[in-house]
Amino acid sequence: MIKINGLHKTYGNNEVLIDINLAFSKGKVYGIVGENGAGKTTLFRCIAGLESYTGTIISDLNPLKNHLGLLLTDPFFFSKMTGKEYIRLLCNARGKTNIRIDEKNIFNLPLDQYASTYSTGMKKKLAITAILLQENAYFIFDEPFNGVDIQSNIILTEIILKLKELNKIVIISSHIFSTLSDTCDEIHLLRKGAQIKSVQKSAFKDLEQEMKAFTIGNSIEKLDLK
Amino acid sequence: MKHYFHLQFLITNRKIKETGINPILAYLLGLVAFIIITAYLFQKTEFAKYIVVLICLGLLSKLSENNRTDFLIATFGDRLKNKIRILENGMVSIPFVTVLIYQNAMLEAALLWVIAIIFAVCAFKTNVNFTLPTPFSKRPFEFLVGFRKTFYLFPMAYLLTVIAIQVGNFNLGIFSMLLIFGTVLSYFAKPEQAYYVWVHAYTPKKFLLYKIATATQYTSILVAPVLVGLLVFYPNEFHIVLLFFLIGLLFVWTIILAKYSAYPNEMSLPEGMLLVFSVYFPPMLLVMIPFFYKKSIHKLKMLLDDQD
Repeated sequence: MIKINGLHKTYGNNEVLIDINLAFSKGKVYGIVGENGAGKTTLFRCIAGLESYTGTIISDLNPLKNHLGLLLTDPFFFSKMTGKEYIRLLCNARGKTNIRIDEKNIFNLPLDQYASTYSTGMKKKLAITAILLQENAYFIFDEPFNGVDIQSNIILTEIILKLKELNKIVIISSHIFSTLSDTCDEIHLLRKGAQIKSVQKSAFKDLEQEMKAFTIGNSIEKLDLK
Repeated sequence: MKHYFHLQFLITNRKIKETGINPILAYLLGLVAFIIITAYLFQKTEFAKYIVVLICLGLLSKLSENNRTDFLIATFGDRLKNKIRILENGMVSIPFVTVLIYQNAMLEAALLWVIAIIFAVCAFKTNVNFTLPTPFSKRPFEFLVGFRKTFYLFPMAYLLTVIAIQVGNFNLGIFSMLLIFGTVLSYFAKPEQAYYVWVHAYTPKKFLLYKIATATQYTSILVAPVLVGLLVFYPNEFHIVLLFFLIGLLFVWTIILAKYSAYPNEMSLPEGMLLVFSVYFPPMLLVMIPFFYKKSIHKLKMLLDDQD
């Protein structure tokens, strides 16, 4: 379980998260949606303990960060470090030292090549593989489907469903609604740092329609395309 | 092109200002330090001209990185990119070439100019996916990445040790050991992204001990050929060899602690000056190590859990 109560985050006078109250249960997948700048990544960084905040975040496993696999939107890779060495670095950091990395290379990555030479999608797949091998109880995937090919997206969807089956907590953000509706049990909508609504699986279609109407409005007409 | 160089100048000044020093003062100090260090090098070793050439080539190779070249071609086109790169490399090489000419190393100075121009106009793109093997992949990070970036220095250092043994120059042997320690210290010059500290399931104390233990083990591997060579061929000087080895290790510990004492920022000028002062007065390390350790623990508490 992860519980967030009265979370606020400000940068100077700019309030980027306003009174966030959320609860995440084991064996469930949660989606966080919102426009660019809505506060999704900041929320994830607060949960991870990478940002200071006011309010409380509690979890059944402590410290939360030591049980959390965090996939950043744009993971950074060191030059001159191979894919396999990157995975080893992240696993060592969690005390997992006897992992047969080659056998677990489900995305068929060229693990003996420098990770910095990988394509965007390959880098994301490498980062995902590494945090999966850390054997975490909680997972935050910030834009996991971005830049990844269709085949790997299918694998990734199945992995998320497997994590749910294994009683993990999975929190995902995505700008592709279908990827969330395929995997999530509940979706939370953020707008300008505030928690607008939470929607259960049965109402995902309505949420998608509502977001479409809000986002598009009459903006396409304004373009006066000819 | 003028705007490009003006922008580079502004960026450099901003970087200097971030360290808390006035840019004009930094340029002056840099020039004075450069003159003193090169004069010292030429006074101490006959290999000084090669060291000067190598340092300059190291800087030039930084400017020749593929991403940077691609950006310049995409923005300015081929011809203007060549002009920019020749000017850049020329400006970087001027102080080194001047020193070489002053020291009467005309051939090396001419060679350096030629290489600087070749570096500026030629692209060294390669499709070879060669991964340099290292003995550091079990605990990959600073040593693994650092070794691959500076691998060419190690054969040089080991060769210097062999020469030192052959010609009976003990000081040159000690210099080759210091070259390795200096290279290792450079691996800890820049702070890593917060994620790579955060990801560790360690307390700040355990994290620092892990870093220090890894650095001690891996530095010893790199220094071992020099250490063994000097101990075998200069048995009467064993106490000096071991003393330099131990002081070198203390410096490695200190730089690790100094790095995290400023984390997530880069080391500031006062911290850098304390380190430089320790080079001249190594007993200072006994005060610096606990000082930086305490500061590091405090800084790391922001990212690492403090409870065992």
